[in-house]
Amino acid sequence: MAPYKKMMLKADINRIYDDEYYSEQKIKEEKFFIRPSQKRKMRNSKWFSIGMGIDLPFCIIILVLLTIGTIMMFSSSYAFSFYVNGDSYFYLIRQLVFIVFGIVAMIVMSFFNYNKLHRIAPIILGISYLSLIIVLILPGENGVKRWIPLGLFNIQPSEIAKFAIILFFAHWCSKYFDKMQFARNSVLPGVIVFGTTAFLLYEEPHYSGIVILAILTVLMLYLGGMKEKYIIIGAVIVIAVVGVLAVTGGLSYAMSRMDGWGQSLEYTTEEMWQTTWQTRNSLYAIGSGGLWGLGLGQSRQKYLYLPEPQNDFIFAIVVEELGLIGAIMILLIFALLVWRGITLSLRAKDRFGKLLGIGLTSQIGIQVVLNILVITDWLPNTGISLPFFSYGGSSLIMLLAQMGIVLAISRTANIERQ
Amino acid sequence: MESNDRPMKKIKKRAAKGPNQRLRQRTAILIILILVFGFGSAIARLSYLTLVQGSSLQESAVDQQLKDTTISAKRGTIYDSKGKVLAESASVWQVAMAPTYLKTDEQRKAVAEGLSKILDLDYDNVYEKTKQNSYYVVVKRKIEADAREKILEFIEEIDKKYGCGSVIQLLDDYKRYYPHDDLASCVLGFTGSDDQGLEGIEYQYDEYLSGTPGRIVTAKNARGTDMPFQYEQNIESEDGNNIYLTIDETIQSICEKYMKQGLIDNGVLNRGVCIAMDVNTGAVLAMVTVDGYNLNDPYTLPKETQKKINSLAKNKQSAAESEELSAMWRNKAITDTYMPGSVFKMCTASMAIEEGVVNDKSTFYCTGSIKVADAAPIHCHDTAGHGSQTFVEAICNSCNPAFIKIGQLVGLNKFCQYYQGFGFADKTGIDLPGEAEDSFWAEGTMNEVDFAVASFGQNFSITPIQMITACSSVANGGYLLKPYVVSKITDADGNVIKNVEKTVKRQVISKQTSDKMNEILAYNTATAGATAGYVAGYKVAGKTGTSEKTGVKPISGFEKDYISSFCGYAPADDPQIAMLVFFDTPSGGSYYGSQVSAPVFINIMTEVLPYLEIKTEYTDSELEYVDVSAGNYVGLSVNDAQSAAQQDGFTVTVKGDGDKVVSQIPPASSKIPNGGNVVLYTDNNSKSETTTVPNLIGYSVSDVNTVASAYGLNASFIGAAGSNVVSASQDIAEGTSVSPGTVITVTFTSSATLND
Repeated sequence: MAPYKKMMLKADINRIYDDEYYSEQKIKEEKFFIRPSQKRKMRNSKWFSIGMGIDLPFCIIILVLLTIGTIMMFSSSYAFSFYVNGDSYFYLIRQLVFIVFGIVAMIVMSFFNYNKLHRIAPIILGISYLSLIIVLILPGENGVKRWIPLGLFNIQPSEIAKFAIILFFAHWCSKYFDKMQFARNSVLPGVIVFGTTAFLLYEEPHYSGIVILAILTVLMLYLGGMKEKYIIIGAVIVIAVVGVLAVTGGLSYAMSRMDGWGQSLEYTTEEMWQTTWQTRNSLYAIGSGGLWGLGLGQSRQKYLYLPEPQNDFIFAIVVEELGLIGAIMILLIFALLVWRGITLSLRAKDRFGKLLGIGLTSQIGIQVVLNILVITDWLPNTGISLPFFSYGGSSLIMLLAQMGIVLAISRTANIERQ
Repeated sequence: MESNDRPMKKIKKRAAKGPNQRLRQRTAILIILILVFGFGSAIARLSYLTLVQGSSLQESAVDQQLKDTTISAKRGTIYDSKGKVLAESASVWQVAMAPTYLKTDEQRKAVAEGLSKILDLDYDNVYEKTKQNSYYVVVKRKIEADAREKILEFIEEIDKKYGCGSVIQLLDDYKRYYPHDDLASCVLGFTGSDDQGLEGIEYQYDEYLSGTPGRIVTAKNARGTDMPFQYEQNIESEDGNNIYLTIDETIQSICEKYMKQGLIDNGVLNRGVCIAMDVNTGAVLAMVTVDGYNLNDPYTLPKETQKKINSLAKNKQSAAESEELSAMWRNKAITDTYMPGSVFKMCTASMAIEEGVVNDKSTFYCTGSIKVADAAPIHCHDTAGHGSQTFVEAICNSCNPAFIKIGQLVGLNKFCQYYQGFGFADKTGIDLPGEAEDSFWAEGTMNEVDFAVASFGQNFSITPIQMITACSSVANGGYLLKPYVVSKITDADGNVIKNVEKTVKRQVISKQTSDKMNEILAYNTATAGATAGYVAGYKVAGKTGTSEKTGVKPISGFEKDYISSFCGYAPADDPQIAMLVFFDTPSGGSYYGSQVSAPVFINIMTEVLPYLEIKTEYTDSELEYVDVSAGNYVGLSVNDAQSAAQQDGFTVTVKGDGDKVVSQIPPASSKIPNGGNVVLYTDNNSKSETTTVPNLIGYSVSDVNTVASAYGLNASFIGAAGSNVVSASQDIAEGTSVSPGTVITVTFTSSATLND
């Protein structure tokens, strides 16, 4: 009798709070980009909406990062590109094309009524599963199946999976926000959705993707209201599972990449020296940069010492050229992006928008941190790209499209008003 | 009441923490986690790497970015004392590959096929190398100019066909050549694959010979090609210094020739040593260890040894092989010790004279054995006994009991002092690696019996170089010298860097004692003929030695294994060259130093002394048999030739019907005895005439002469001194068909008792 009553009360109060909150969301008319005449349509089911205008600072931060990222991508890749493709501009030209597509996607998504995503979240999750299965059917390369070739560029299903998981849990948590304290409404869907996706990624194999997905799942459920104790229990289970896999040998690929983790500077065997080649040269590049760096374009490690400097290890070249000062400035811009993205999402008009915005923005912050820990040899070399910097078509377009969604969310949340 | 209130409070609290509140709180935690902990640790890590570890990481980075190309320095040349080349370095090339540039399997196969064909390598092996993801793989070292030409053509060919010519690289390198193959092998030593000296002079003087390699330091990318930022520094290589040895190639060759012959003739099982030394400076003129090895191929064992190794169990082969190799490389003249035996008596005798305990009138009586202290009697090699003998006779008889008495006259303490004085207690300090130490009784442990045996050179071990050094001091007026093999070091431009002069360590005996010893030892050789090292025309001083090898299982077939040695010098009245010849474990007809080593000593000296331009002094009886050079009579008319030959003192036989001499036997400038036969041919038909060599062994000097001339042959004599000598060997065997006039060398030995 008592627990039921308690729950009812709580749910009622929540509703009241929410309504009060919405009622405060009166849109002021003096703001740039804001089209008051459209405000009524905001909660309506139109696919695209001009809304109240996007959050300009967030948009500018994205464009700044994209500009710096592209310059650095070109700087780090032109030597490698010359030797490998015979054309220094190979990666730059392709990246610029992807940026054009990506910005178009971002603009389109910023007008998209993200509330539509609420309903189609399960469908997108389905698409994610489908793409993960398709990639497993395709032949793959060197025993690794991570890409679906689409002519002009490749699609990485794990990128879709990341978005799908954020979207799905934003959808789930906002739908069952009042039941999230129950394990069956929080832990269970988490285990099922993450478990199945992780299984498919494990088959690729793409262990770093699993790690990011795990973090995102826990993060979304945590924000959604899952009890903390489940996170602790989950962590224990994950450690146990990884332990079992390690014993049975299923982690061989990841382990082989972990080989030499933390000991890339010590010469033990010739094989180990080769295995740790990329990490060691990353550390050489970072160390060479010092406080002020060698200057833009002056990296030496990019001359074939650091393999594929345009991909995961691009930030090592950034540090070599721009120094610790440059690196910290770039990290501050990233931090600003995360801060702005999360705070603006918190002011979204509904729970779904909040969760989706925070999830998508956090994802960038998490990837930046993991990427830097990898290139500095604090984490095993697992293949985590740096948003806005690393070369790559599908991930860049996906990234910008997701930023478009955050911008769409910002239309409903005028941060300045607070 | 209370129980009712509490749930209400809880509800209120929960209500205050609604989903939005909770979301805000949890978002705040999330921001802290990502921005403070995440970004914070990232920045902390980057700061640590750039600021704390920065300089060491940058150093490592620069190390790999700056490619060092080493320019090999040319290793110095080794010359003999007359400036003849004994070891030199010549330009060769190294073939290397950067297989990472190879894109297709077709290219790999083509490269592997071409290289394996040109360089005579295994195709599969090279093909494996082309698969490596590397920028530097050595294909073959030290290729010669002709192979280089072919490689250059091949590079052009594949460059045209596949555009991957840069895969194959030719790098400068040097190769060590030893023009005389095995000459002085144990002295010279050889070099390893990186041009580093491994044995002998090459090892000892590596520092001087190797030079300083140069470097070109340039900034390179990971593929070794130039980087856009400029950095280049050249450090010229400095060629190695040249070394001049005291060793004379001519003397060394003469010694090796006869030592090898002696090795075969006497079935020597454990190699032989010959050292020739300038008695006045300590310079080593020749140092031979036979059999040596081919310096151009130092890792190949003699066929028989290799066969023996191949018959061993597989797991023992490599150990056996390396053991055999190091035994082969050993310089026996300085790294092995032996018991000097009777040769040491020259030292004991010197002590006795120096101490004044003997004189010409001293007599010693030998009964065939002598009893010392309570030990079993020590026998003389002549068990019948030498009877009463003077000091000089005791030396000539090499009488052991007499020398025990002489030793006792000197006294144990003095004997040990002289032992040290002659330098046996210390290494000689010769400039060669691996010199061994003697093995002698520790101070105070030598008893009467030990002393008695030691006084005739038994039961202690010394190195051959110590013996020859001590012998030189006996000969040169008593000065103990430091032996040396390098006389001069010059830089690549010929400037002298180091000049080695003689080093006198001390005077061991007086000039008078030395003169006396020269006289006695010369008398020894003169009376005993070839058995004691007699060389016609020269006053040679010398002493034979036959020492028992103790503590080893005999392998020679004799009751015990022996070391047969001979140590002597010439000329006795003004000593110039001292020489030690010794053979370890002969298994042929004899093991006596007088029969095994003395003839080799004579043969060598017979050639070396004239080469050193030492004046001959013939006695009247010798003059009769002195060899004369045949003149050149070819091309002269028959009459002119006949009279010319007769004028030179030869008996002339003309064969054929022509008017001009077309050939002669013996050929011009060959040595034949005075009054020997010269055959002149006037046409080619008569040249086919031959005569059969008769037996010339077992005759006296005059009988040999008579028999030889009866057959129309010439006999040349070695060791033919005194009246009691008998021919012991002839260099062309009985029954061989030869042309008339051929010179047959006959060696004589004393018919008297063999004195050791």
